[in-house]
Amino acid sequence: MKIHVTRRLLSLSAAAAALMATAAQPALLRAQGTAAELEAGSRVETVKVTPGAPLRVGMGDTLAVSLDFLDDQGSEVRGFRWGFQFSPPIVGARPDRARGQGAFEIWGMKPGRSSLQIGVLITDDEGNPSPELVEQIDVMIEDWPVAKVEIEEPGFEAYAGTSFELAARAVTTHETIHATARPLWHSETPAVAAVTSTGVVTLLGPGTARLTAGVGGASDEITFEVIENPVAEVRVAPATGSVRTGDVIRFEITALDADGRPVSDAALSYSVQAIPSAATPGATIYDDGAFVAELPGSYRVFASAGAASASAVVEVAARPKPTPVELMGRGGNLASASSDLWVFTGVDGRDYAYLGTMPSGGGERLYVWDVTDPTDVVLSDSVAIDARRVNDVKVSDDATWAVVTREQNSARGNGIVVLDLSDPGHPTVLSELTENLTAGVHNVWINGDVVYAVNDGTNALHILDLSDPANPAHLGIWDVRPGEEDKTLHDVWAQDGLAYLSYWDDGLVILDIGAGIKGGTPTEPQFVSQIKYRVDHGEEYGNTHTAFRYGDYVFVGDEIFGCSACINGPRGYIHVIDVSDIENPVDVAKYEVPEAGAHNVWAEDDILYVAYYQSGLRIVDISGELRGDLYRQGREIGSYHTAGDEEDAYKPNQAFAWGPHPFKGNIFVSDNNSGLWVLHHEPPRALVP
Amino acid sequence: MRPTCKTGSRPGAMIAFAAVVAVAAVALLMPGRAAMAQAQNPEANYWVYVANEASDAVSRVRFGPDGLVVEREIEVGIRPADIDGAHGVTVSPDGLYWYVSVAHGTPFGQVWKYTAGSDQLVGKAAVGMFPATMAVTPDGLSLFVVNFNLHGNPVPSSVSAIFATGMQELAKIETCVKPHGSTINRAGTLHYSGCVGSDQIVEISVDDLAVTRRLLMTPGEERLLASSAEPSEGAARCKPTWVAVAPDDRQLYVACNGNQEVLEIDAADLRVSRRFPTGKGPYNLAVSPDGKYVVATLKGQGSVAIIDRFSGEERRVDSSQAVTHGIVISPDSRYAFVSNEAIGSTLGTIDVIDLERAERVASTPLALQSGGIAFWKMEPITKGT
Repeated sequence: MKIHVTRRLLSLSAAAAALMATAAQPALLRAQGTAAELEAGSRVETVKVTPGAPLRVGMGDTLAVSLDFLDDQGSEVRGFRWGFQFSPPIVGARPDRARGQGAFEIWGMKPGRSSLQIGVLITDDEGNPSPELVEQIDVMIEDWPVAKVEIEEPGFEAYAGTSFELAARAVTTHETIHATARPLWHSETPAVAAVTSTGVVTLLGPGTARLTAGVGGASDEITFEVIENPVAEVRVAPATGSVRTGDVIRFEITALDADGRPVSDAALSYSVQAIPSAATPGATIYDDGAFVAELPGSYRVFASAGAASASAVVEVAARPKPTPVELMGRGGNLASASSDLWVFTGVDGRDYAYLGTMPSGGGERLYVWDVTDPTDVVLSDSVAIDARRVNDVKVSDDATWAVVTREQNSARGNGIVVLDLSDPGHPTVLSELTENLTAGVHNVWINGDVVYAVNDGTNALHILDLSDPANPAHLGIWDVRPGEEDKTLHDVWAQDGLAYLSYWDDGLVILDIGAGIKGGTPTEPQFVSQIKYRVDHGEEYGNTHTAFRYGDYVFVGDEIFGCSACINGPRGYIHVIDVSDIENPVDVAKYEVPEAGAHNVWAEDDILYVAYYQSGLRIVDISGELRGDLYRQGREIGSYHTAGDEEDAYKPNQAFAWGPHPFKGNIFVSDNNSGLWVLHHEPPRALVP
Repeated sequence: MRPTCKTGSRPGAMIAFAAVVAVAAVALLMPGRAAMAQAQNPEANYWVYVANEASDAVSRVRFGPDGLVVEREIEVGIRPADIDGAHGVTVSPDGLYWYVSVAHGTPFGQVWKYTAGSDQLVGKAAVGMFPATMAVTPDGLSLFVVNFNLHGNPVPSSVSAIFATGMQELAKIETCVKPHGSTINRAGTLHYSGCVGSDQIVEISVDDLAVTRRLLMTPGEERLLASSAEPSEGAARCKPTWVAVAPDDRQLYVACNGNQEVLEIDAADLRVSRRFPTGKGPYNLAVSPDGKYVVATLKGQGSVAIIDRFSGEERRVDSSQAVTHGIVISPDSRYAFVSNEAIGSTLGTIDVIDLERAERVASTPLALQSGGIAFWKMEPITKGT
């Protein structure tokens, strides 16, 4: 194909001559794509891709690709404009000028499957260029070769009759876990141990077991002695249970030998069955003996260790139905989109809600609402701070000062602004701090006279001294990966000597800021633990966005825009992280509204409040132990669609709930589209016979 | 525009608009609006694209016989809950595509590619930290964008080279601290950018994708550095924010944002040949295609400096809003189109300046923080049609 002009078409002198001609002819216009080129594009019917589909390229390799654009007669079309893209963008490409304009080289940047989409420019109704997709072919990026297979040591004694799952991983030549290769298991001693191809082994009788796991030319082997099973009895207690959906029963499951002594190293197998067995299964028992149901009904729980087994029966009732949420008051915002809020009692004894604003319609103001009477919300004042986004606001413990974040300042100073709350209905700017914070601050947390600031540029936690609010000072930085750029810090929250950092793809990071765990102090935090996760919304995301500690759990929300599953807006949900062992956090449950995306959260009195973007406020019962899918368990006890109308919303008829803040028996919610909502909810009460 | 009110059917209160905001917003929301100054309207149509950084939007603006009209506002960015930062915008030399740099990512930014006129997104390329200004080679195959890394740690950043046909990043060429002001010479052989943090001008070979020369810009100490030299230590004083190339490729013009001057540099040996004192904060530059003027936006004082290339005489035109940012000049050298960021929630604007008369002849509000600007096309009005 000879579609583009060659870059070196003009020599330097020729270019200069051409420019002189330009100067001599002031009416000469910038070169434009011609109508003929766009017409030629409209004649392209197919693209012949060489080599044919699918294109396969291994990590570290390149593949030469040529495109021939053909019309409906199979003749080559020339003289038009074209482009391409890979979706997802995990393939690199560079032009191969030696082979012509339709030739390029590709290489894989990440193992997986992509699509090469080729378009040409045609003319639209107004004569402007418009892209038209003419070909789309699969591209397979194959991972680095498998170099070795590694089998993990099983955690159980090899007792005859027991069954458990073995794990093996394929490791590439680049010491990464292979993206697709899964080792296949094989038993060299089938009379002793049978194993499925995926690694579920059943120990049939005493003897030496030899199992292999292999993929390609690589394999690993494990050999162990299968011994007589000492387990004579399995007990499950309690034998019966009666709970609601979502309530967790911790079964005590013990294996005993013939003398009644516990056998702690035997692999136990669990299962749960609906009663009758034809009923829809709606319960789970986990390896640690925790049972939880999503659907009401009767369930039988089994536990076995070889021939010995036992069972229990659980009756599961439905949880109470959600109760209505009442609208108490309203602080609509026609002028701009709203951001986060903070509700507090001021030094004058009155209650206030401070709301930030977003760029849509403004973004330079903090609005001050007097909410002393929640049924008569009154706009008291506002503060402008030369920003295009006031994303966050926090008030000091003694309510004498507040910190607001500043982004897109006109002088790119950004940083934080400190407000004097001597007259909380009419706060005034007391000071500002921009040093080391010029990128903008997205979120803050006040911890006594120390402020933690999320820096948009360094993506580190900046530690600020507010002991003299009139003269804030920069103290230091805590960074999850110093010296590396590919990280994003989004939020920080601190309670009881621990700070919880929402670190996007680096997950939740917990710091000791005075809890006495790792010797951290408010000004010199120390790392405690970290948990990362990936969620699938058409593609994989981390996107850890917010975190809130309550009891043994941290409620962590992820925020996902632009995903292929984001049909009606954002996605993302609440992960329930068990931090009862603070150094080993575990993801144990989730709350996921299927049709929307989570934003900020607050937990109080066994209730979780979630501003769930396009689905408004959601209220969730988080009493007791949490396990599994809280939404499917019916733990949601209330909801309110925070959509304003033409008379009180910047964007009417569309909820986009931003943040909740329960306060004095009511729930204050900021909605991006409509401002402040004051709501009241009475949780459902258990029926007392 | 929806009416404002103090009370509604629901309990509570609501925020009323300030009248001035309402007027500005009305102008923003009404497509095809005409600007205030129409007395000097031209007999041709000129189109420019302007990026509005805090609104995540690109405005397509036409200046013609019916005045200055915002034809369309194209939303940019995928995260409505955050500012993605549409910073720089440039148009391919054939006028078929425009590109916008999206500065904020998680954490890396992107360059998005659109068809011109139909304004349809056709590709994206992931680049570095805070991609800012861009330039496209004359053949349209390669695009260069400086990774300004404005707010990150003051470490050497890079210029990303992109294969524009498929929006593939080919290389990150490490240059200096806070590179800004991406420009390619007319021959398409060399790329120039300033280094606000390192006080340098860096020249890159378009073919080799490698740094070829560096010029230290510290006032009074201007000299060539070895191409492999580390960025200079110490506080920058010139703070070069922009490099513009003369129509014959023989001179470069550099905005010394920190030293209130524009420098003329011989492109052959990179020696400073002339200095033009300016007002506060020269920021972006453009050289008129007829070679008569170097025009600088003075970000620090809300005005534009029109410098006669031959006499050195400067004329000054006040901008319609504070924080004057970008500038492009029409191919006929008649008009300069200037973007103004404004402050806070005040809408940014675009001004049209008649270069011969040194007079602002049209102005209209756009969106928040209007910055990057690129000329798309000019079409003469055919009489009788």
